[in-house]
Amino acid sequence: MGFLSVLRKMKQKEKEMRILILGLDNAGKTTILKRFNGEDIDTISPTLGFNIKTLEHRNFKLNMWDVGGQKSLRSYWRNYFECTDGLIWVVDSADRRRMQDCKNELHKLLLEERLAGATLLIFANKQDLPGACSAEELQEILELNLIKTHHWQIVWCSAVTGENLLKGIDWLINDIAVRIFTLD
Amino acid sequence: MSVVREKCENFTNIPINNLESTKVITPDDVLRLCKVTDSYLCTPEANIYDIDFTRFKIRDLESGAVLFEIAKPTPENADENAEKNGEGDEAIDPNAGRFVRYQFTPQFLKLKTVGATVEFTVGSKPVNRFRMIEKHFFRDKLLKTFDFEFGFCIPFSRNTCEHIYEFPTLPDDLVKEMIASPFETRSDSFYFVDDCLIMHNKADYAYNGGQST
Repeated sequence: MGFLSVLRKMKQKEKEMRILILGLDNAGKTTILKRFNGEDIDTISPTLGFNIKTLEHRNFKLNMWDVGGQKSLRSYWRNYFECTDGLIWVVDSADRRRMQDCKNELHKLLLEERLAGATLLIFANKQDLPGACSAEELQEILELNLIKTHHWQIVWCSAVTGENLLKGIDWLINDIAVRIFTLD
Repeated sequence: MSVVREKCENFTNIPINNLESTKVITPDDVLRLCKVTDSYLCTPEANIYDIDFTRFKIRDLESGAVLFEIAKPTPENADENAEKNGEGDEAIDPNAGRFVRYQFTPQFLKLKTVGATVEFTVGSKPVNRFRMIEKHFFRDKLLKTFDFEFGFCIPFSRNTCEHIYEFPTLPDDLVKEMIASPFETRSDSFYFVDDCLIMHNKADYAYNGGQST
């Protein structure tokens, strides 16, 4: 259980963290969320709304919001920006055809005032597929080096095998914790 | 997460009758309640957003086992079984719209980490500040309170929310009493849009499954 292992390190009282998971449709956002939480991933259909996971551990709350990525839904993303501490941008690394679209949507988000304080994790997902771009390639294609406004990190992963999900989310939560919590 | 030690005695409880006669029920009203309500605090017609609960699921995160799942048949999943039971637990009365009855085995009360999922659909209107307050009682003892704001819901959307929480540690004598008193553990779920009550669902629970009563 990824969620608990991340949270067990946290000892803050009455704290809440909000993570928003976005990306183009079919990037694997819901699969990541479910895989990370030990749920069955055999029957996932396109998200036509949101999927929320909220975890309470002692007095600490972690809320993860996965919002559908279809074009018709993207105009609603802004309704979920408020109070976001961490943004996970999920990329289908094998979908080379839509990389420009992916880059544009990401850079558009980074201009949003209400996401200004958020840490950014980019998941280079679907590394189990042949022909998937590496994280290094994606860093170039998505022009991540231009990002100066947010703490960011790109991590390769496979939602299907679960590889590296914990590594990425662990980095994200630690980065947020250092920023928003007073260290004991 | 509130646990059993939470007490209500210090609060001035609004008599239920008065609550029902007030025009708009607010989150503060229900947060003050010290026991389950005798009746529903709004009519089914108050749900002007066509919010429809289509699935409830409870799983054990330690073993991954689905302990309870009940889904409303929809045109897309009409073939799917409307009801799955695991661990010998039984679902009764699946069709009553505002009420769910859960029947668990005593082992349920020993679980450490539990995930409770609801799935719901939204009608043609966008929904703002959608909030759920759920209170669980054994008789007049408050076991726990959930208070969660979903926020905005997209028109015609299908949404899910899973609350993963550590089961409160209950004293042994209380556990025994709960097992011996089926359906005296009950909950009220209140749903608000812009701080106005639009839905009220109830559930009750037995933990004596697999035992002779």
